[in-house]
Amino acid sequence: MSSVLQLQRQFIDYTTSLHNEGYLDNQFTELQKLQDESNPDFVTEVVSMYFEDSDKLLNNLTTALQQRNVDYKQVDAHAHQFKGSSSSIGAKRVTNVCAHFKGFCEAKNLDGCLRCLQQVKQEYIFFRNKLEALFRLEQQILQAGGSVPMVE
Amino acid sequence: MTEGIHGFSSPRADVFPAGLRVLVVDDDPTWLKILEKMLKKCSYEVTTCGLAIEALDLLRERKDGFDIVISDVNMPDMDGFKLLEHVGLEMDLPVLMMSVDGETSRVMRGVQHGACDYLLKPIRMKELRNIWQHVYRKKIHEVKDSESHEGLEEILMMRNVSEQQSDDGYLFCGGDMTPGSRKRKDSEHNKYEEKDFADHSSVKKARVVWTVDLHQKFVKAVNLIGFEKVGPKKILDLMNVPWLTRENVASHLQKYRLYLTRLQKDDLKTSASGTKHPDINPRDTTEKRTEPIKIQQNEAVSSHRTTNHTIHEVDVKGNNAALQTIKPKKMITGYAAKTSIHPFESTQYSQFNSVLPTQYSWGGGFKEIQFKQENNNNNAPQFQVHNSCFTGVGLPAQQNTSIPSFQLPDPVIGPTWSMKQDPCTEQTSINNMELSPFLLQGQHCSSTNVDHQNKGVTVTKFNDQEFINDALKFDYDYEYPDLWEYPVIGQGLFIV
Repeated sequence: MSSVLQLQRQFIDYTTSLHNEGYLDNQFTELQKLQDESNPDFVTEVVSMYFEDSDKLLNNLTTALQQRNVDYKQVDAHAHQFKGSSSSIGAKRVTNVCAHFKGFCEAKNLDGCLRCLQQVKQEYIFFRNKLEALFRLEQQILQAGGSVPMVE
Repeated sequence: MTEGIHGFSSPRADVFPAGLRVLVVDDDPTWLKILEKMLKKCSYEVTTCGLAIEALDLLRERKDGFDIVISDVNMPDMDGFKLLEHVGLEMDLPVLMMSVDGETSRVMRGVQHGACDYLLKPIRMKELRNIWQHVYRKKIHEVKDSESHEGLEEILMMRNVSEQQSDDGYLFCGGDMTPGSRKRKDSEHNKYEEKDFADHSSVKKARVVWTVDLHQKFVKAVNLIGFEKVGPKKILDLMNVPWLTRENVASHLQKYRLYLTRLQKDDLKTSASGTKHPDINPRDTTEKRTEPIKIQQNEAVSSHRTTNHTIHEVDVKGNNAALQTIKPKKMITGYAAKTSIHPFESTQYSQFNSVLPTQYSWGGGFKEIQFKQENNNNNAPQFQVHNSCFTGVGLPAQQNTSIPSFQLPDPVIGPTWSMKQDPCTEQTSINNMELSPFLLQGQHCSSTNVDHQNKGVTVTKFNDQEFINDALKFDYDYEYPDLWEYPVIGQGLFIV
C-alpha cells in the first residue's frame, strides 16, 4: 500500500537523520535488533524505562545543584548515572553532555555545572521528542499493516 | 530478576556455551533490561540483580548456580570492585566489570581487583557473545593446576573427543569447544555436559553433593593411593561409588588440593600456638580468617589421640581466603613459593571441608605418619614428610569443632612425618617445611617429630570455620552447621 510504503520511507529517512544529527547512535540500532517476536515491544519498553529514570535523575541533578553547599561528588554520581543510562539507548548527544558535566563536577565549577544541567535537559527533551515521533511513525506503519523497516 | 532454574538450568550439553549461567548486576534498570535481553539472545541463562549485596546473597545461596558474573563498577550499595573481590574469593567465578567510564586508571583497578575483563558501555552484543571464554579459560587453568599429567591427559582427550562423548567421561559440549575437563565445580560440569560418562551414565545432570561420607571415602582413597600418585580415576576406582563419575572426582580433587594448600598457608600463619609463621603468604591473611581453629584434635581425636595431638584444624577460613586468592596455578604459591618443598601439587584444598577421616594420631613421636586413611598401610605414602618439621602441618581440619571425625581408623596419620618433637614448632617448624605439601599430602612433612602430645596441635589457625564453611558452601551444598560434623582432616597431619 502506498501509504505504508510512504510511512516506511519516512521512517527510514527520519531514523537516518537522527543518526546523522547525532541524536542516535549504533546502540539504538542494537536495541532494535534485539527486538523480536518474543519481545515485539522491546525498544519502546526500554526507552520508556529510560525516560522514567531520566526524569528522576534530572530532578536529582537539579536538586543537588540547588544546595547551598553543592556536593560535587553527588552531582557527579548523578551525572555518571545519567551518562550510563543514556548510553544504553544510544542517546548520543545526551551522553556527550553528561561527559562534559562530569568534567565540571570534577573541577567543582558551579557555573559550568549549571550550564551543563541546562544543556542536558534540553538535549534530553529534544531526544525525547524525536524518539516519540519515531515511535509514532512506527505505530502508524504497523497500523497500516506494514512492518517497520530496519535501518542500519 | 529472572531466575534461572537452579541447578538444572544447564545448557544443552552439545552446544556450549549456550546455557551459560550469567548473573548481571547493575543499578541502572535500563541497562539491566538490555543486558538481559542481549544475553538471552546469546542463549545464556540470565539472572539480573540491581544491587551488589543482593547479588552476593544470590551467589552464596546458589553456589554453583552461576558460571560468570557481570557487574557494573558503580553500584550504590557497594563498590563494584569490592563485589568483584568477594566473588573472586568466595565463589571463584570469573567476573567481568562494566562501566560507561573507560578511563585507564579505572580499568586498571578492575584488573587489579581480579576482573577477567572490563567492558565499556555501551556494550554490544558481540562482546557478550564471547564471555564464555572466561569460564572456559578458568576451567582449563584449574585442570592444569590440579592434576598434572592426568589433567593434561584429560584435556587432550577432550580436545580430541569434541563432540563425541568420550568414555572417560569427559563429555564435552558439542563440537564447538571442549571445555576443560574439570569444571570448577561438578555442577557446572554437569551443566555443560551431558553426563554420559561411560562409566557412570548419569544422564541427568544432577549435581554431586559431596557429603561427609562421600568425602571420607574420597579422602581414604586419596590416602591409600598416595597423594602424589593420586588421580581421579584411581580415586574413583577405590571409592567404589557407582554413580560417581571421574569428573566429579577430578573436580573434587582439585578443590581438595586447593584446600590443602590453603591450609598449609594458614597453618603456617596461624600456629596453634599462635606463632605466626613468618613465611606465611600475606595473601593468606585475608579477612576471611576467622578464628583460628585450633586443632581440635584434642577434642576430636578421640580414638586416636591419646595425647593431644592436634589435628590441625585448619582454619579453613583462612585457607579459604587464601585459597581463594590462589589462582589455580599458584596454589601452592604462597606456601610453596617459599619453600621449595615439594609443591604440594595438589594441595589445593579448596574449601574442602576436609572431612578427611584421617585422624592423625599424633602420637608422640610418631614419625612416619602415613597419611593413610585408615590404616597405616603404608601404601599411601602420601604425606611423606620428608623433612622434618612438619610441624604444624595444618590439616585442614575443618573446624575446630568437628575434628572428631578426624579419626583415622587407625592411628595413622596420614603423612609420614617424622615429626620432631618440637614443642615450639607448632608453627615454626612448619617453616621449614613447606607446608604446602603437607597439607594434604603431607609430603613434605618436616621431619620434626612433633610431639603432638604436647603440642596441642597448634594447628594453624586456619580459620577453619570459615574455610570450612566456605568450603562447604563452595561446592557442596552444605550449610555451615554441617561443617561441624565433618572431620576435618587435612590430610597430612600438619603438625604444627
